[in-house]
Amino acid sequence: MSDKKYWNSLDQLEETPQFLEEAQKEFSEAVPVEDFLSKSNLTDTSSSRRDFLKFMGFSLGAATLAACETPVVKSIPYVVKPEVVTPGVPNWYASSYGRGGDFASILVKTREGRPIFIKPNKAYPGAMSGVTARVNASVIELYDDNRFQSAQKSGASLSWSDADKDIKSQLAAIKSKGGVIKVVAESTSSPSTKAALAKFDEMYSSDVDVEIFDENGDVTGIQTLKESCVVTYDPINYNGILKANKADFGQAIIPTYDFSKAKTVVSLDADFIGDWLDNVTYSKGYTQRRNPDGDWMSKHFQFETNMTLSGANADVRGAIKPSDLANVAKMLHGAIAKLAGGSGATGSIVSDDNEVSKKIEMAVKSLWSSRGKSLVVCGSNDVNIQQVVNGINNMLGNFGNTVRMDRAYNAVQLNHSMTDLTKSMNDVKVDAIIFMDANPVYSNASFAASIAKVGLKISLSDRPDETSALCDFVCPNHFYLEAWNDHQPYDGVFTMQQPVIRPLFKTRASQESLLNWSGVETSYYDYIKSNWYSTAFAAIDAVSVENKWNQAVQSGVYIAPKSKDRVEIVYTDNSINAAGNLTSKSAELEVKFYTKHSVGNGAQANNPHLQEMPDPISKVSWDNYVTMNPSDMEGKYEARTAQATPADMVSVTVNGYTMELPVVAVPGQKLGTIGIALGYGRTVTGKVGQTGVNAYPALEITDGNASYSSSNVTIADAGKTYQIASVQTHHTMMGRKIVNETSLATFKSIDKNDKSNGWNKDNVLPDAFGDVKPIKELNLWEDHAIDLGHRWGMSIDLNSCTGCGACITACHIENNVPVVGKDEIRRTRSMFWLRVDRYFTSDMNKEKGKEEGVGIVSTYKQMENASAYPQVVFQPIMCQHCNHAPCETVCPVAATTHSEEGLNQMTYNRCVGTRYCANNCPYKVRRFNWFNYNKDTKFTGINPAQNELQRMVLNPDVVVRSRGVIEKCSFCVQKIQSGKLVAKKEGRPVQDGDVVSACSEACSTNAIQFGDLNDGKSKVKGNFDDDRSYHLIEEVGTQPNVAYMTKVRNT
Amino acid sequence: MSKFQRMFRVVTYSLSVVLFTFLLSNSAAAQDGEKLFKANCSSCHKLNKKLIGPALSGVQERWEDQEALYAWIKNSQDYLKKNPGDSYAQELFLEYNKSVMTAQAVSDAEIGAILDYIANPPADKAPPAQLAVNENAAPAEDNSTYWLFGIVIILVIVARILSGVRSSLATVKLLSEGKEILKPKSFIEGLKHWTINNKRYTVLIVVLILASFSVKGWYALKSIGVYQGYAPEQPIKFSHKIHAGVNAIECAYCHHSAYKGKNAGIPSVNVCMNCHEGISEGKVDGTVEIAKIYEAAGWDAEDQSYTGVEKPIKWIRIHNLPDFAYFNHSQHVVVGKQKCETCHGEVSEYGYPMKQYSELTMGWCINCHRETTVAMEGNEYYTKIHNELLERYKDEKIDAFTVEHIGGLECGKCHY
Repeated sequence: MSDKKYWNSLDQLEETPQFLEEAQKEFSEAVPVEDFLSKSNLTDTSSSRRDFLKFMGFSLGAATLAACETPVVKSIPYVVKPEVVTPGVPNWYASSYGRGGDFASILVKTREGRPIFIKPNKAYPGAMSGVTARVNASVIELYDDNRFQSAQKSGASLSWSDADKDIKSQLAAIKSKGGVIKVVAESTSSPSTKAALAKFDEMYSSDVDVEIFDENGDVTGIQTLKESCVVTYDPINYNGILKANKADFGQAIIPTYDFSKAKTVVSLDADFIGDWLDNVTYSKGYTQRRNPDGDWMSKHFQFETNMTLSGANADVRGAIKPSDLANVAKMLHGAIAKLAGGSGATGSIVSDDNEVSKKIEMAVKSLWSSRGKSLVVCGSNDVNIQQVVNGINNMLGNFGNTVRMDRAYNAVQLNHSMTDLTKSMNDVKVDAIIFMDANPVYSNASFAASIAKVGLKISLSDRPDETSALCDFVCPNHFYLEAWNDHQPYDGVFTMQQPVIRPLFKTRASQESLLNWSGVETSYYDYIKSNWYSTAFAAIDAVSVENKWNQAVQSGVYIAPKSKDRVEIVYTDNSINAAGNLTSKSAELEVKFYTKHSVGNGAQANNPHLQEMPDPISKVSWDNYVTMNPSDMEGKYEARTAQATPADMVSVTVNGYTMELPVVAVPGQKLGTIGIALGYGRTVTGKVGQTGVNAYPALEITDGNASYSSSNVTIADAGKTYQIASVQTHHTMMGRKIVNETSLATFKSIDKNDKSNGWNKDNVLPDAFGDVKPIKELNLWEDHAIDLGHRWGMSIDLNSCTGCGACITACHIENNVPVVGKDEIRRTRSMFWLRVDRYFTSDMNKEKGKEEGVGIVSTYKQMENASAYPQVVFQPIMCQHCNHAPCETVCPVAATTHSEEGLNQMTYNRCVGTRYCANNCPYKVRRFNWFNYNKDTKFTGINPAQNELQRMVLNPDVVVRSRGVIEKCSFCVQKIQSGKLVAKKEGRPVQDGDVVSACSEACSTNAIQFGDLNDGKSKVKGNFDDDRSYHLIEEVGTQPNVAYMTKVRNT
Repeated sequence: MSKFQRMFRVVTYSLSVVLFTFLLSNSAAAQDGEKLFKANCSSCHKLNKKLIGPALSGVQERWEDQEALYAWIKNSQDYLKKNPGDSYAQELFLEYNKSVMTAQAVSDAEIGAILDYIANPPADKAPPAQLAVNENAAPAEDNSTYWLFGIVIILVIVARILSGVRSSLATVKLLSEGKEILKPKSFIEGLKHWTINNKRYTVLIVVLILASFSVKGWYALKSIGVYQGYAPEQPIKFSHKIHAGVNAIECAYCHHSAYKGKNAGIPSVNVCMNCHEGISEGKVDGTVEIAKIYEAAGWDAEDQSYTGVEKPIKWIRIHNLPDFAYFNHSQHVVVGKQKCETCHGEVSEYGYPMKQYSELTMGWCINCHRETTVAMEGNEYYTKIHNELLERYKDEKIDAFTVEHIGGLECGKCHY
């Protein structure tokens, strides 16, 4: 085991008295009895003892009578049953998710016609298929009852034909007088959507007179040009890269970054694992090369401001101020140019408290040694930095290898300048504006001010947002699970978005609306089909084209044959010039804005599962806040010491916009910087989404585009406190060593069982006779028979786990885990069946202490010292299904028992809620239902199960638990049972892969494997037998059926 | 007997013989006609009602030329081709949406018999109401309680008389001995006196009474939530006896999803219509109940077409398992090879309304899992576990394994 000291909160590390007290309690706060009995305070009533007895008697009688009556349950079969639907049997359909710059090819599970679960589509090129938490949680947004239910004019609903008539006549009037119509649309990779927009453009684009200049700059004439209607706008744009590539390659495209080929990865503030471009594909490729048993293991350097998922996974992390990013890029460029025998840019880090310069040297060495197989990515939105990065990749020979310009990622497009648009709106030059999946009123402060000056405003949004609230017409789009669409995420890769349910409301595809208003009366489905027939399928003969189309719909994916004539993409090196243009404005305090990979840019803010999912680093849910390094907080703001202690509020002013936010201590944050998440503070959305503070207005707009960091920031104590909803200080592991970690060098050179240096030694204990034995051989209890039939097990590779949390939302949706809301999380009553624990490591260890001659005592003392820049590990924890489960032995009613197949079963109907099991569980994975979350009015609007419509997302194979029972991970027993049943019905043994838990299905990096341990060929069995495998808190003798695999860092 | 009378008798006899013969012959022809009609015509025609083809009653009157009618019946398409001028035939073809009446291989004599049958249909043999009464006849009431009650009353009276006799005799005895007559004791005093003198009996009786109340109470509580025999009124008087019993339709024809998934499923209306498009009248309830299916399916029996106005049937669910118990039909029917009757009883003998045959309690489930052997033979899924079980139980020499042996009693098999 590693000698690093792990701690999962600052309080644990400092062992504050409150923490120590709370650590003793599994349930830190009980619900007062009054809360249980009624909402109004019972002590105010004047009921006497006699009254109580009367009520008792009456309710007993009433209950008995009620129990005698047979409940009448109506059963209503189909009138005409669709042939493919069998009640109780799920159907899977291939579809696509493409919203807000995210893309995923998905399979949607429907039960009796209702979509209830989303998993990755394996037909999509294997290396790329995966889903994020945003994708698999999106299914619940379909049933959001805040959605628009019909077309609306000034808030009153009207029929589509009336709306069309009205809008068409107004548009025609604008067109005839030569007015300007604008369509503000989100980036899309859909060829047919682009075609529909082009059709609209053809009809309504306006004429602009452009002056023609001669060589001397004199006006020689006037040329009339068509000005496009379409304004592409994303709240989070990637214009930096796109414009740099336009300058260097002549094309504004995002290249394919192939992380699976990169031996050295250097990321300059690009959180490619968390929330940057096609992060699923990147993390899949990345983790493919993080296997220490593979041919080679990549080395990952991360230079960043906030502690991100990528930084947490990096081998070497250098914390820098946003203003130093340009300097890092220049230093890399200069050093590599020197190695390449040329001259490059020069720069030096202004604020270097983290040995960044040294780390850059290491990175340069590593990059140069793996030329052509290295990769430098950069998250900056500054064109010049991106051009310098292009220069670096060019010198390293990465173009064509790890960076492929010939295969563009199309889900993000070059954004148009919003400054230009707002200017012409303010000049009353825009007569009509249409919003397609865009909500600029929320994410662009200046836009909000000028929208009133536009005559006709139409929103195509499917649910209310800040922009639609200001529009005259709302022509609601379908939700993506109800609509046909197509996507082209990468050049040559087409995917189909197939509807999996009929539209719930009177909505219409936004493309169809645009086509209709441009005079093309067709259904969007027909339009897509004809578009495909004339483009993607143009080369296919008429006989087999229908077949091809059906195949594309069925599998969800169509890969176009590679075209023979390749367009040569020529690189022009502008990096030296660009480096010269770079100016960095350093300040004492700087801010870096980021998006959480739960709610993202804010479009999905009303999704309760995403709001409840804690941030992987700060472990805070339901809010945004200021992240600050604990060393920076010292003396100014109090780091929270207990769950009940509120966080200090600060008032932050960035670019003249002031926000009041709580401060959260995040080790690893660059000193002298703060981080603030975008995507919160929605005002026009459901109850769930209205949380946090909107930080978009603080963004500086330069050159028409937002910049996501700023040096123009001041911070002041707001003199207030705020209760944040954090899952940080509870669920402690009692200070024991639980994450096993080693370095690649140790892993390769030292035997795991080496007595002194072994990195994964067995836990040993002397038995009654003094013989030292591995703990798994020592038993107090009689063994469960584990050889009969199946024995289900799970392995979790800590090297592949990036901490993204897609498993959490997948688990919640599959198992009907209740959403409990901000207030209950504050009270440590979260219901997570699966959580991802995050542990900070201290930089000090025994070897280092010896090397530096610190002495053993002070080494230990320093190991407890919080480092300003710690390393981070993630560990998903769910019920370990112990063979000797401590919970089973203490249950007084045998509600939790062991099965022959190795499952620790939880029988809700038997549970009386003593909570002994939860107290006795060393892993703290058992959750108690304090309330009837699906009925209690406290959770109305928060818990999806309360709403007639949102209830449709519940999995009918899993019971909704009632108040007063314990629940926990069941290893997806419903999936085990159905997997076995399918095999039994087909008369064949269960094969590896037939039974997969929801978390494992959602894990794009294959960190979680599930299967039968009694099947010698199963992957999970192989992992159990691997050298890296170990069991969590094995020393207490629980014999879990979950194995973890030691994390090996390439250091 | 007068001459006149004898003559009258002879005449009546002979008349009746003649009449009988006539009737007999007539009815024989009609019988043939009926058979032929049912075999050849009834799938598309009814006597007094449109079906796929027109109602046939009065067909001879509608056709002027009887030969043409015969030709039409034998091959209507051929007739239409040969006689384009017959406007009645042409219109008839158009009226029924050009649905072709297939050529019939019947002789002229057979056509004659059929036409005779159409002209003189026999009266309905039995009124339907009678059958309905029979089917729904309530079982004879159980009178044993009344008998018991009567006997108890008689016994009480006898006891009363005997005790009166006894006290009279005692008084007489006292009188004869010249002693003072005791004041008669009240019943309560007597009881008190008796209990004091017979403490053992008193205790025994009290214990017995308490025990019987406890047992009764226990069973009463246990029956809460158990709805064995639950037979609610349904929106349509559907009889399993008629469908599964009389007509011997397989369970799976309507409840096919029992073989595929967890629900046995109530058949959708289109399954009903597979047969009932042709069968619009039943023997028990006539057209009343079947009309309800038509209403649900949006079927216009007059026009023989769907109107598109559908109205799903709201059946009352009979078998209600609680949410926390998972039950899968296909597991039991396909893998376990259980018959439907094991849990649902002899459904083919149940009339309307359908009832819950089993208790559907956990004890009932568990008991079956204890007793039922798993059909492992021929299912490769079980090959491995079967060998492992043989190994585990080789000392007990068990070779047939019940559901219990493969973990069928574990909580997590049904509760999740």
